[in-house]
Amino acid sequence: MAIDGRHLQILANYCAAAADAMAHTLMRTAHSTFVKETEDFSCQIVTRYGLAFASPRSFGAPWYSGIDYAPVLTMIKHYSPGDICITNDSYAGNVATHTPDIHIWKPVFYGGQIACFVVGHIHNTDVGGAVPASLSRTLTDIAQEGLRIPPLKIMENGRLNEEVAHIMRLNVRVPEQNWGDFQAQIASVNIGERRMLEIIERFGFESFLEGVEGILDYADQQARRIIATIPDGDYFHADYADEDSEGGYPCRIALTLRIRGETLELDYTGSDPQLMSSLNMPTGGRERHPLALVGVTYALSTLDPRLLLNAGTLRPTRAIMPPGTVMNCQAPAAVGMRSLTCAMAQITTLGAFSLALPERMPAPSPGGNAIINVRTIDTLGHTIVASIGPVGGGGGGTPHHDGPEGCGGLSAFLKNTPIEINETEVPIRFHRYGLAPDTGGPGRFRGGLATVMTFEITAPDTVITARNRNRSFFAPPGVLGGRAGRTASFMTNPDTSHAVEHGNTDLIHCQPGDIVRIIGPGAGGYGPVYERDPEQVMHDVERGFVTLEGARRDYGVVIINGNVDLEATLQLRTQEMVASPNKGEHGHFDFGPARAVFEALWTQERYRLMTDFLAQAPVAWRFFLKHQLFAIVAKTHHTDQDVPNQMQRLFAELRTRFPAISET
Amino acid sequence: MTYRIGVDIGGSFTDFAVLDNHSGHIHTLKVFSRPDRPGSEITTGLARLEERFGINAQQVDYFTHGTTVGINTVIQRNGVRLALLTTAGFEDVLELARLKMAHIHDLNARRPAPLIERHHVFSVQERTSSDGRILIEVDRDSVVSAVTRAREQGCDGIVVALLHAWRNDHNECRVRDIIHDIDPELLVSCSGAIWPVIREYERTITATINAYVQPRVIDYLQAFEKALTDAGVPVPPRITKSNGGVMSLDQAKAECIQMVLSGTASGVIGASYIAEQCNFNRLLSLDIGGTSADVAVIIDGQPEYGTGELIGEFNIYIPSVSVTSIGQGGGSIAWLDPLGVLQVGPMSAGSLPGPVCYNRGGNQPTVTDAFAVCGLIGHGDLGYKSVQVDVTAASRAMATLAAPLGITIEETAETIIRIAISGMYADTSALVSRFGIDPREYYFLAFGGAGPMMGCWLARELNMKGVVIPPTPGVLSALGGLVADLRNDFIDTLYSELSMQMLPWLRERADTLRVRGEHWLTSEHGTDLPYTLMFLADMRYRGQSFEVEVTLDKRWLETGDLDAICQAFHARHEQIFNHHDPQATIQIINLRLVVTSPTNTPPLKRLPTSNISACAETHVQAYIDGQWRSVAFYQRHTLYAGQQFASPAIIAQDDCTTCVPTGMQITVDDFGNLIVTADTSQEDTFHGH
Repeated sequence: MAIDGRHLQILANYCAAAADAMAHTLMRTAHSTFVKETEDFSCQIVTRYGLAFASPRSFGAPWYSGIDYAPVLTMIKHYSPGDICITNDSYAGNVATHTPDIHIWKPVFYGGQIACFVVGHIHNTDVGGAVPASLSRTLTDIAQEGLRIPPLKIMENGRLNEEVAHIMRLNVRVPEQNWGDFQAQIASVNIGERRMLEIIERFGFESFLEGVEGILDYADQQARRIIATIPDGDYFHADYADEDSEGGYPCRIALTLRIRGETLELDYTGSDPQLMSSLNMPTGGRERHPLALVGVTYALSTLDPRLLLNAGTLRPTRAIMPPGTVMNCQAPAAVGMRSLTCAMAQITTLGAFSLALPERMPAPSPGGNAIINVRTIDTLGHTIVASIGPVGGGGGGTPHHDGPEGCGGLSAFLKNTPIEINETEVPIRFHRYGLAPDTGGPGRFRGGLATVMTFEITAPDTVITARNRNRSFFAPPGVLGGRAGRTASFMTNPDTSHAVEHGNTDLIHCQPGDIVRIIGPGAGGYGPVYERDPEQVMHDVERGFVTLEGARRDYGVVIINGNVDLEATLQLRTQEMVASPNKGEHGHFDFGPARAVFEALWTQERYRLMTDFLAQAPVAWRFFLKHQLFAIVAKTHHTDQDVPNQMQRLFAELRTRFPAISET
Repeated sequence: MTYRIGVDIGGSFTDFAVLDNHSGHIHTLKVFSRPDRPGSEITTGLARLEERFGINAQQVDYFTHGTTVGINTVIQRNGVRLALLTTAGFEDVLELARLKMAHIHDLNARRPAPLIERHHVFSVQERTSSDGRILIEVDRDSVVSAVTRAREQGCDGIVVALLHAWRNDHNECRVRDIIHDIDPELLVSCSGAIWPVIREYERTITATINAYVQPRVIDYLQAFEKALTDAGVPVPPRITKSNGGVMSLDQAKAECIQMVLSGTASGVIGASYIAEQCNFNRLLSLDIGGTSADVAVIIDGQPEYGTGELIGEFNIYIPSVSVTSIGQGGGSIAWLDPLGVLQVGPMSAGSLPGPVCYNRGGNQPTVTDAFAVCGLIGHGDLGYKSVQVDVTAASRAMATLAAPLGITIEETAETIIRIAISGMYADTSALVSRFGIDPREYYFLAFGGAGPMMGCWLARELNMKGVVIPPTPGVLSALGGLVADLRNDFIDTLYSELSMQMLPWLRERADTLRVRGEHWLTSEHGTDLPYTLMFLADMRYRGQSFEVEVTLDKRWLETGDLDAICQAFHARHEQIFNHHDPQATIQIINLRLVVTSPTNTPPLKRLPTSNISACAETHVQAYIDGQWRSVAFYQRHTLYAGQQFASPAIIAQDDCTTCVPTGMQITVDDFGNLIVTADTSQEDTFHGH
């Protein structure tokens, strides 16, 4: 059956129902609140060969809808009914992408043959290792990130492998919770298996197999139709994470998006070398690795929200990720915080799509959504550890309206925690939780505002962690004349003489009376700022989204006594245009001032020369050499030298100093 | 001769259920709804009842009413212009909501605009702590300035929602008093008074929706009251509630939020009444109309309750009968996508223009048209002769899809039915997984205009135990209102760890709730009513962010039986989530009280038994499972208890048509319910593929 227009939707509905049933069972029976709250899990039905063809319809981040389990499926030699396999090893098949993600899969046998597999993962709160919760940017080696389980049968013919189970429980900090979550996973694949057997029974084995191919083909063709509407071309875009390690240098994600007819190629060549921090992505260089293609899923869904998401959706797409880079790290690189890099890869992808389809894509999301945790003591001296929610940015300005405020874009799936719950559970007092004015990138359509959270510490030695902080330095870009959003901020005691800005630090210590203020990064705007109707700016001022000064400074709008002074506005806007005729002429993107300063030195050319050079060096040397180069370039007087010559000279010096790097 | 009348106003039809107090007989009637002239459908309906059944308004001794005016005000966003007063620093509460967006993949998606614009939100200098202490008293000047500006901006109502009003609403009351000092006419909704639940967004949006719909609801109820008085109905009417109960007209005007979901809730109450009377212990109610399809779980005659039901684009957080949407109903439009794949919905022809076959202007083929083309409906009039089914028009519309698919018109129609059913299957399947239900132990109770038409198809896909078609499926919501009890909810948000030390306090709070509940009952409805009190607690393990509802025995509270309370929670947790944790700290978030005063309902009338086999009126041609078949066509009123017959069959009645596909059998029970189950003698054909 090719695409049978009659029955495809019926089979697709049935299979989605089976995946939904798996997800609901998992949600219902999992122990950790993490699963229920952040929905950090996945459930899928995959073909005999590992391609995902059905996912739950309304859960969690859309990262895994197109996953291919083939690499781990084939690591098990022989399957029998009742087997359940498990792994969390990022370097065995790259299906699990950091140690807390425990993946399991179960074959569905029908008449003695495998019809499909039911699969899924849960992010466990802790899997042991150097730090509680197993994740920290400072870790440098996957061995520090907790227990690693190679692909193996945890259940064989329905019988639990007690020995492995014992190792799993012994190596983690809260074994009961992990075990509870594992039981929920088992229940989930079992319900999935039962539902799939009912479906195969209804449709017949052969028709089922053909129908599944039809579902994949359908998504494939839908995706191709969408891609065909994008003009052919090579679209290069790069964006930077602020730091490649604790207090480190910027980390570049570079992407050449090649569009040819109905196909996409995402070439990540030129991205940073793999890092001595846990920001690496263990993709194995697989051309349809889900982490490399999340941005494509978003872009195509934005272009047609009816797009069916499965492995077929990704078929017209391939990624190129050279080994030993942050996009394709080699063992034993640490990978725990790969979500920060994955977010940057998504943002870069969306930037490239914006170049290709400026009229249909919004300004890229800001990223840098920090999850805030507090460790403190209550009045009785009991330790309290609690997550008080995300602080991030809004959605980028879109071609037709402002970006959503405080959420949206790549983080539209996140939920917050009510202030009333936080204050009841955690002895801190909130002063403010809301939208931060002037943070949205100005534009004809403004970027969504960032959220701001301000609270007062009431107990000594309180620790605040803010995982995934980014965008304190490089601003989220605006497009087509829209400006960059405001950078993020993490301060203690703002607006006082002892104020401290913490930048991208993700852990601070506080004392009673300290005021902590976290502001997410604002999203970039869309379209020329001066095309924004002054009345809309006025409306934003009324709503407290833009200040009076912001209206004047960012939009050239003069407001007097609550009314737009049109004449003064026109005059101001004209003046500004005359004074700096290039204002608003930032090319396609406005990246904000920090990047302009950075790129004055580290031009795209210079950066490319460096990544080319590093690609020749042994993997273990690359991070070290990058840091050497950054330090040297910062000190080098470089005003009138041509960049290629200067860089070649530096490379030669390094080769002389460290002969080992040329020996491979 | 006296009668009880239940009236339910829906989008297209207004349904009447009339119970003869003497005989237990139920009369039914449908008239077109008149949103343009509220109240007139009541007048029309009462006149029609008199001419058709000889029932005089003077003979009515009980009258209940449900209406969609509240929910429609939210959906159409034509409520009153409001201002919101919040604690300083937290003015963006409605903008932020809970952050998560409805469409998580579409980067160009928007959020629904808040019901109160941000420039109508003002801050009040005040603060209450999470344990209820007043840290900062209300600053009068900030309130005065807010109210002044709100009035300048043309706001006609004010919502007051301050932090921690769930624990102590002293400051909210203070703000309300100051507003009343300034302008006694201004409508004020305080979050702590409407429903004092913890979580600032949830409490604020609930109070906001209450205030937003209030003027419109009051206008409507006044028009309705006048229509009743003019018609000579001698009793004060009662209004159906989202919690499945009824309330007085005065309470409805003051607490509009309570009636917002009354239509769907009273359908479920009607289903629960049938379940309880006829001993169906495990039931899923299946309510399918022209634009919606809803399922609710009913165990031992009791529906599930919950909070967070969806009203248009917003959720409200008062206790409501828990209903899950599984689709768009009979009006869903069938279409071909650009790749030539046949799709059904989510667009709906709604009640207007409606399906093509109703000849009311629709020109896109719908699920109802597919049933018409297959010969499953349209052999008589629908909806009390108000609609004639035009099969030719439906076929013509269907042909536009059949041609590109290269299949016959009837094949297209049957495929549309299957796609629609598979979509409903997917959503129902998610629901049963969420509740941990095994569908093989459950009956559907199918009602609404399209429930009996589609229910059997869905049941056989889900492997349900069977389908129950009640005697008056088209007006079950109206009937539900008629049998609903007086019911009111009270909440005290405790947010406390459960321990020996807190038990005296718990008992004290329970006593206070009881006094409030009894006071409500006597002041609203007099002292002579019998009533029951049910205590509930929303509990959780510390660290969880969701609560589990546990019924508390009054005696546990009186005697301080900590162990019994803990065990009840562990057991409930185990039942829902398959695990519990005897070591973990338990928190009790809310203590709730439900005060119920039962409505006197006569037992359902039994149908006479007959040992003569059921007699088909005629046989018609219908297209089922890929072929035209001769299908027996019955009139519902000719069936008697004890009769049994095989499918395929079509059973027609005034308010709807029941369609039963192949492989099933139909039994008429003592109460006149049709019980449709798998026909074990035709097992192999049960799964139609």
